[in-house]
Amino acid sequence: MLTQLAWKNIWRNKKRSLVIILAIMLGLWGGLFSGAIMMGMAESMVDSAIDRYLGHVEIHSKKFKDDVQITNYIKDVKAVENAINAQDSIAGYSKRTILEGMAASAASSFGVKIVGIDRVAEKSVSRLYQKIVDGDYFDTQKRNQVIIGKKLADRLNLKLRSKIILTFQDVHGEIIYLACRITGIFKTESSVFDETNVFLRQVDLMRSLHQTETLIHEIAIRVKSAKYVPVVEQNLASALPGLAVETWEKMAPELAFVSSSMEAFTYLFVAIILFALLFGITNNMLMSVVERIRELGILTAVGMKKSRVFFMILLETIFLSMTGGILGMTVGGFFIGFFNSAGIDLSAFATGLESFGSASMLYPFLPASMYIGLTIMILFAANIAALLPAWKATHLTPAEAIRTY
Amino acid sequence: MALIELKDISKTYNTTAVPVNALKDINITFEKQEFTAIVGPSGSGKTTMLNILGGLDKPTNGTVIIDNNDITKMKPGNLVDFRLNKIGFVFQAYNLIPVLTALENVEFIMLLQKVSKKERREQAENLLQDVGLGDRMDNRPSQLSGGQQQRVAVARALASKPAFVLADEPTANLDSKSAESLLDMMEEMNKKHNMTFIFSTHDARVIKRARRVVTLEDGMVKEDKINK
Repeated sequence: MLTQLAWKNIWRNKKRSLVIILAIMLGLWGGLFSGAIMMGMAESMVDSAIDRYLGHVEIHSKKFKDDVQITNYIKDVKAVENAINAQDSIAGYSKRTILEGMAASAASSFGVKIVGIDRVAEKSVSRLYQKIVDGDYFDTQKRNQVIIGKKLADRLNLKLRSKIILTFQDVHGEIIYLACRITGIFKTESSVFDETNVFLRQVDLMRSLHQTETLIHEIAIRVKSAKYVPVVEQNLASALPGLAVETWEKMAPELAFVSSSMEAFTYLFVAIILFALLFGITNNMLMSVVERIRELGILTAVGMKKSRVFFMILLETIFLSMTGGILGMTVGGFFIGFFNSAGIDLSAFATGLESFGSASMLYPFLPASMYIGLTIMILFAANIAALLPAWKATHLTPAEAIRTY
Repeated sequence: MALIELKDISKTYNTTAVPVNALKDINITFEKQEFTAIVGPSGSGKTTMLNILGGLDKPTNGTVIIDNNDITKMKPGNLVDFRLNKIGFVFQAYNLIPVLTALENVEFIMLLQKVSKKERREQAENLLQDVGLGDRMDNRPSQLSGGQQQRVAVARALASKPAFVLADEPTANLDSKSAESLLDMMEEMNKKHNMTFIFSTHDARVIKRARRVVTLEDGMVKEDKINK
């Protein structure tokens, strides 16, 4: 009955209770939706980085990690392939040749990473082929084709079928100049990636290097589901102790940080909102207690213990806060769910978002665990908000409360 | 052995610049089954005496013995329990919980006593029948007249099966018909349940119906007489 009484008590002044419930609802809705957008952005940054190039797991020679030199290639590629093929959860892998070099046009030059790939294998790891905005993805067998990013093309004043000169060192340290024809221009979510990466077919690169054996510097792996990443990494690391086996989180720690910190930021954001709301809830409950001083005095007079009075005020505060909280989470969840499927088109801010590596179409989301975390936070805030009113209610002298009010 | 014994009770309020002596050396006893009115002009100390009798206020000096317990020496927590189990209260302004029905208001006291749900429902229904509100059990206080609310308050006071009931000017807010009816009912309870009623009043009708009348003046017992 105490629970029932507490619930009825919050509806004594409907208007006042509804105002605070509405404030909590709007505050939470805003906080959750902003958090979901931030998390959607972080997710977009991570997903697009994995899809664009990274893959889930990468293998390099340990020396290559410290010094990106042509000579620091993986010596026993066959052993690596055997180890990869022994895993069940691999969706695909791509062996890449990585060279540091320069890309030059008649107008300008720029430092780039030259990536030699096998067209078919690369398609099983990265989704670069979906980002071609002009030309194709090595669809013909012509020699010395190159695919470059839109940003680099603009920077070097190049177009499709323009000639571009790539300069890099061979295994002996000799400078190689390779004239290529641009057959494809890609545009990804990251303008930095588009500006600093060029892709060639591995055969063309090896021919220019006068190599009979293909030099592999990097093996990128895509697994069937992100949940297998730690297992695959662990298995490959133990099977290939002489090589550096790393997940995308280790290769791109800034992305991993963004991904993990967004959840923390959302909690922080909601905590700040709840902290502000806390004063409103306290004020509301204080008014409710002051209005009922005589009644509370009588309840104490007829034998209601202070602990029960305290508990009743606490329950009232929790009911008030949780009603607003549940409404806020429901409305927030509905909005997040809707925009998660419909997406939010932020193409007006595309340039800014691309510099962060985020897509301009955002799909906000909030993990289910956050709703549980938020419920606990609201309960905690309600307990804090109840302290002052409950203290006031339990420090009444019955005779004085009845006489004075 | 008296049910209630006040020994050398005095009460001084120091809340104003000049201390107010509300009660001065009161010595009085109340027996079981009494139907007693405490009367006197405003400021004579009626409410103070009732508060001290009910353990709502502590005397400056003296002791209050109720059912062989010295309540002036009780710790606050024990005193709340004592009030819950030994004393029934009826207030001038009824003071029912507005969001609860008549039945729930009566049940509430028994809830505090941790009486089982079935038992307290049964008891509350019987009490409301006794006070003539069998058909008003599901009404909230705002849906009842003043007289009916005061009847619910009496039923609530009796619900805890107290040793006695203290009523502070119970008829003050009632019209004469309701007041008479309430007094009839209280008298009936006094006889039917052997319940002790002590009430402060200004009301001549109440004074006439009381079997014992204690008159206070300037914080002292001026007269203590049995009504014939």
